[in-house]
Amino acid sequence: MKYRLAALLAANACLAVTVAFAADNPAVMKAAETKATRTCQDCHGSKGDSVSATYPRLNGQQADYITAQLKNFRDHSRADPHAQAFMWGMASQLDDAIIVELGKYYAGQTPTPPQSGGALAADGKKLYLTGAPAQSVPACVTCHGAHGEGNSIIPRLAGQHADYLKKQLEAFRSTLRDSDIMHANTKDMTDSQIEALVSYLAND
Amino acid sequence: MSSRQTRVQWSNRLIFGLFALTFASLPQSVLAVPSFARQTGLACEACHTVFPQLTPFGRVFKASGYTLFNTKKVEDINKLSQSILSISDLPPISASLMASTSDVAKADDSNSSKVSTDFPQQLSLFYAGRISDNVGAFVQITYDDQAGSIGIDNTDIRFADVANIDGHNVIYGLSLNNNPTVQDLWNSTPAWGQPFIGSPAAQAPAVPGAQIEYAMGQIVAGLSVYTYIDESLYVEAGVYRSALQGQSVADNGNTTNNIISGVAPYWRAAYEYDWGKNSWEFGTLGMYAALENPTTPAGNAINLSLQNAPTDRFLDMGLDSEYQFIDDENQVSIDARWIHENQNLDASYSAGFATNKSDQFDSADLTASYYWHRKLGASLSFFNISGSNDPLYLGTVSGNSNSSWGTAEIDFVPWLNVKLGLQYTVFMRFDGASTNYDGAGRNASDNNLLYGFLWVAF
Repeated sequence: MKYRLAALLAANACLAVTVAFAADNPAVMKAAETKATRTCQDCHGSKGDSVSATYPRLNGQQADYITAQLKNFRDHSRADPHAQAFMWGMASQLDDAIIVELGKYYAGQTPTPPQSGGALAADGKKLYLTGAPAQSVPACVTCHGAHGEGNSIIPRLAGQHADYLKKQLEAFRSTLRDSDIMHANTKDMTDSQIEALVSYLAND
Repeated sequence: MSSRQTRVQWSNRLIFGLFALTFASLPQSVLAVPSFARQTGLACEACHTVFPQLTPFGRVFKASGYTLFNTKKVEDINKLSQSILSISDLPPISASLMASTSDVAKADDSNSSKVSTDFPQQLSLFYAGRISDNVGAFVQITYDDQAGSIGIDNTDIRFADVANIDGHNVIYGLSLNNNPTVQDLWNSTPAWGQPFIGSPAAQAPAVPGAQIEYAMGQIVAGLSVYTYIDESLYVEAGVYRSALQGQSVADNGNTTNNIISGVAPYWRAAYEYDWGKNSWEFGTLGMYAALENPTTPAGNAINLSLQNAPTDRFLDMGLDSEYQFIDDENQVSIDARWIHENQNLDASYSAGFATNKSDQFDSADLTASYYWHRKLGASLSFFNISGSNDPLYLGTVSGNSNSSWGTAEIDFVPWLNVKLGLQYTVFMRFDGASTNYDGAGRNASDNNLLYGFLWVAF
């Protein structure tokens, strides 16, 4: 019994070392950086600061969110039009280790600040901080953070492209992008509320 | 001039016209290919607004040598762990088919029909995709019903790599190709410019464009080096030599026409600025070609030994610009090109085939196209060519080849690889006149043409 316990502890120790090694494997980190700067950058920019609103900004995005989304693209559980057109292919051959490192790479880049200066920004800020109880729209701040910075698998919204944010909110609302939580939060949102939120959070 | 001489000259003119028409219609045979989609896993819309018009990402994919892939691959390494094989487990093969019907306003002569149907107008096979980590190819082989044969079509084989230099993303590479500008990234240049598809029944003016626009495709081989920095600044330089299909210039025992003397230098520079959903490109392109044993638009050919053949020299200098607005709902493209050509006709003049020792020529076109949801589209194009008066060289009644015409097209794209279109072309002026341009009572408007087509790629 003692030997079994020792063997188990030893095995666990090895596993821990292996996991730690995998997590910080310089070769995987390098491969992820190469992937980001040679392939992903074609659309998202070399540091995730994409120019075109077609492609979301990834600089400063939550690592866990990027990891989760890449896996969703890979297994096709995220199936909105742009996911299918672009990311199903791009994520199809990524393994878990490089996906994790890609998340870390972009999370480590300096985020783009929001403009917060649009005409509707004040309305958007109010909606973000307090929600719209009459429409069952909860306060976004609860999950996405005081500054729209996100948390783990909850994405950063601050500084995202306005058009991208708008399209995602519309996609959640229509269920084009599948998320029970976000559909429930957006299903009663009006177009003008979406415009206001985007005006507060985004940076064109 | 005897009637026999006249007949021979018009016959030669007809041959030149068919030659010119064939090459003037080159853009008709280019398109996106599904093998790129299969290789990358990306839908057509990633690289195209609607084929064959490229998006900014499509330009990067092309500049990167068609090598982006997201499929399983067959690989091998040597003992030094160096990659010696890296190919997709599926060959990047595609096909396209065009079928069409045309109705010209007035038949060319009593022996010709007003209406013609072409099935297929063209049938093409492509190898289009990655060859190795840094090498990719776009190779097109086409059956053309006007030629009645299968032949090599546009070909672009590339080596490309990318480097990060002082924070700048630098794509650089080489292109081996058979048509000047087929390697280009913008649809404002000749090989990929409007019209993307056109009727085989369309009449072509005596000179349908500058040399770089119509005269070089598939009969030259070029090698160029290029760089594309930060997806904005593009610079390319290269040279072309004659590479005739079906014959060798060396030891062929015959005189051969329109052979590039030495090499023809080619240049290209462009700058693209992207903001939001917009992109705007402005660039220059050009080529200098000295042609041995030239054939004139009038149909006269100089046939001397290539060892001491005289030359006509053509310097093409062009400007181009492309604006695009692309989002999911609306896709707008505006393309403009102007090319000025200096023609030094030493060879033709000394043979008595040109009135002037040197001529000028200008070609301009402007196209605006709009697509709604990549489903329904419309485009308007305007083309104008003008040049010196040179009756002997051009062989036209007016003495020049000045022509202008416009095209309106509507398209229906039920799937991204299927396009149905209806096109109407109006000629305002043809070979220097709007009426009686051939001296036999034919008017420019007699060449007006209604053209319907189906274009599928699979």
